[in-house]
Amino acid sequence: MFTLHKWRKPNIKLTSPPFHHFTISLSPLSSSREKILAAARANKPEETLLPTVPSFEGDASAERFTEVLTSIGGQVIWLEGPEQLQQVLTQLFPDSRISASPLFPGTLPVDALTTTEVLADVDLAVLPGEIGVAENGAIWLPEANMMHRALPTITQHLVLVLDHKRIVATMHQAYAQLPSTGGYGAFVAGPSKTADIEQSLVIGAHGARSLIVLLY
Amino acid sequence: MNHATRAAKFIGDADRTTWHDETLWFVRTKRDKAVYAVPEFQDLRELASQIKNHTLSKLDFYLEQFEEQAKRNGVHVHWAADADEHNAIILDIIRQHNATRIVKSKSMLTEECHLNPHLIANGIEVVDTDLGERIIQLRDEAPSHLVLPAIHLKKEDVGETFFQHLGTAKGEVDPQVLTEAARQHLRARFLAAEVAISGVNFAVAETGGIVICTNEGNADLGVNLAHVHIAAMGIEKLIPRLSDLSVFTRLLARSATGQPVTTYTSHYTKPAADKEMHIVIVDNGRTKQLGRPDFRASLKCIRCGACMNTCPVYRRSGGHSYDATVPGPIGSILSPNIDMKKHSSLPFASTLCGSCSDVCPVKIDIHTQLYKWRQVLAEANEIPASKKWSMKLMGRFLTSPRALGIGGKLARHGIKFLPYSLTHARHFNVWAVARELPEPPKQSFHEWYKQQQVK
Repeated sequence: MFTLHKWRKPNIKLTSPPFHHFTISLSPLSSSREKILAAARANKPEETLLPTVPSFEGDASAERFTEVLTSIGGQVIWLEGPEQLQQVLTQLFPDSRISASPLFPGTLPVDALTTTEVLADVDLAVLPGEIGVAENGAIWLPEANMMHRALPTITQHLVLVLDHKRIVATMHQAYAQLPSTGGYGAFVAGPSKTADIEQSLVIGAHGARSLIVLLY
Repeated sequence: MNHATRAAKFIGDADRTTWHDETLWFVRTKRDKAVYAVPEFQDLRELASQIKNHTLSKLDFYLEQFEEQAKRNGVHVHWAADADEHNAIILDIIRQHNATRIVKSKSMLTEECHLNPHLIANGIEVVDTDLGERIIQLRDEAPSHLVLPAIHLKKEDVGETFFQHLGTAKGEVDPQVLTEAARQHLRARFLAAEVAISGVNFAVAETGGIVICTNEGNADLGVNLAHVHIAAMGIEKLIPRLSDLSVFTRLLARSATGQPVTTYTSHYTKPAADKEMHIVIVDNGRTKQLGRPDFRASLKCIRCGACMNTCPVYRRSGGHSYDATVPGPIGSILSPNIDMKKHSSLPFASTLCGSCSDVCPVKIDIHTQLYKWRQVLAEANEIPASKKWSMKLMGRFLTSPRALGIGGKLARHGIKFLPYSLTHARHFNVWAVARELPEPPKQSFHEWYKQQQVK
């Protein structure tokens, strides 16, 4: 004879009372720092292991890097050699009035103490990139390569010059190559953009309106 | 007002609801495309989950390590137990510099603490610089999504707002033109700003540095021009090692918008020459959540918004229907921790389909926690009496085979005789407001099964 089993409650149980009424027995004078640390100490769960992150490999080719960067609004141009740099820039930015770059002479002198007023007029910044990441088109730009921390975003147009041998497959290899991130540094992937109005992609939000990577 | 009432208002405009639903689903499909292109994506989710679990299990240790390193880097570290203290600390820093012109990039924490109204009440102008946030700031609205704060608005709405506040042409609705107008308007604010406030995406304990991810570059432009940088971070933003960023930077943007990475992933470790950097470490209920074993996993959240884009309820009810700093599924498990009474309807704003948990990059069991919150709310008597008693009655009915058998028979044979005005009485049966009753089957499964055994 078939009998219906009594309907069982889903097997999800509260593992403990929901309100862990924890009282901290500290003097009223104790600072917020002590309070927060004490509460974290008292309420934290049993220690779990910190996993080792494997170095997931992948396609580290300049082709992959180019494909991804192009898909996010950037542009890649090959240089035959460093001596071609200025000639290519003149072709790309014939109307650029004020350029800043540590890579060739005759540009606006910029350093960490350059004023906002001066930086605000920069049309073009040409900076050396350190590491390219093929999976997402990002380039590591450390503070030492920026002349001024605000230059990569305040300039109207940004050009990063990168040795194609410095392209790695994923972020794992990129971070593995960074001994430290210095005082400031950024992975820059494409031009500044936004989709905050109806999800329509617009290039040139607050930072650089365009990003060109010159590979050599 | 509860979630259902506010949602009813939102869906009053059917065309807009459909548009909202489809727009967010489009973001979800972009997420899928980006995720499927990474073969190890599921491994990365597991790693991220384990790293966050580990960090929470040694949170006091990592907080102290982070503080020590940050101080060594020349950063001023402040601790705030709650929203009031957070606001007071930031106001104090601003006053010490006699500053009145402030720019702020995205920070859900400052939203949570209601920093802007506090600063404005004290005579300080604070300009939100993320385009979406600036739009809603000009409209005096709250963000409706974690990463797409103005997703509830159409370009016509933005055009009208910019016409009123930024002087764009009446009727101008081209996103390109409107964005350019905002760029010009905000550039002036960036150049003039004395203090820049930012949020924090990740805080690295071993380096004492923070990482901020944006597409617009507004955090970098603001922080790197202003004399003082104030970064507000919740205690849950910590990760142990610099190399852990490789996991999180691969997950965040893909989960959020389907991009391979955000345009700018900026690492702030030391203040620039002659400048100041402050980090405000905020609790505001987070250690309490850490002490709730069933709900502490919500602290792993990296604020990507993937759970919102996929949620059938969020997509059709809009972010404002949640009336919480963080809306959507993740907001529905975070908010009752902060104010159980106010947010008691949120854990019910879900079908428990589990899609949120499936897309979560740090594997938070969101739908399980929604279910558990319902039990907690029922225990605490924070659900409406009608829901409480109908559920109790239903529970008794469904656990009695006899009652179920008789009830089923009555319904199968009697339902067709019930007048429509009774089965569809608006206040009695809300479920039937937009639905028709099914054709009753001839027999129950139980009866059918018995017949099969006889054969």
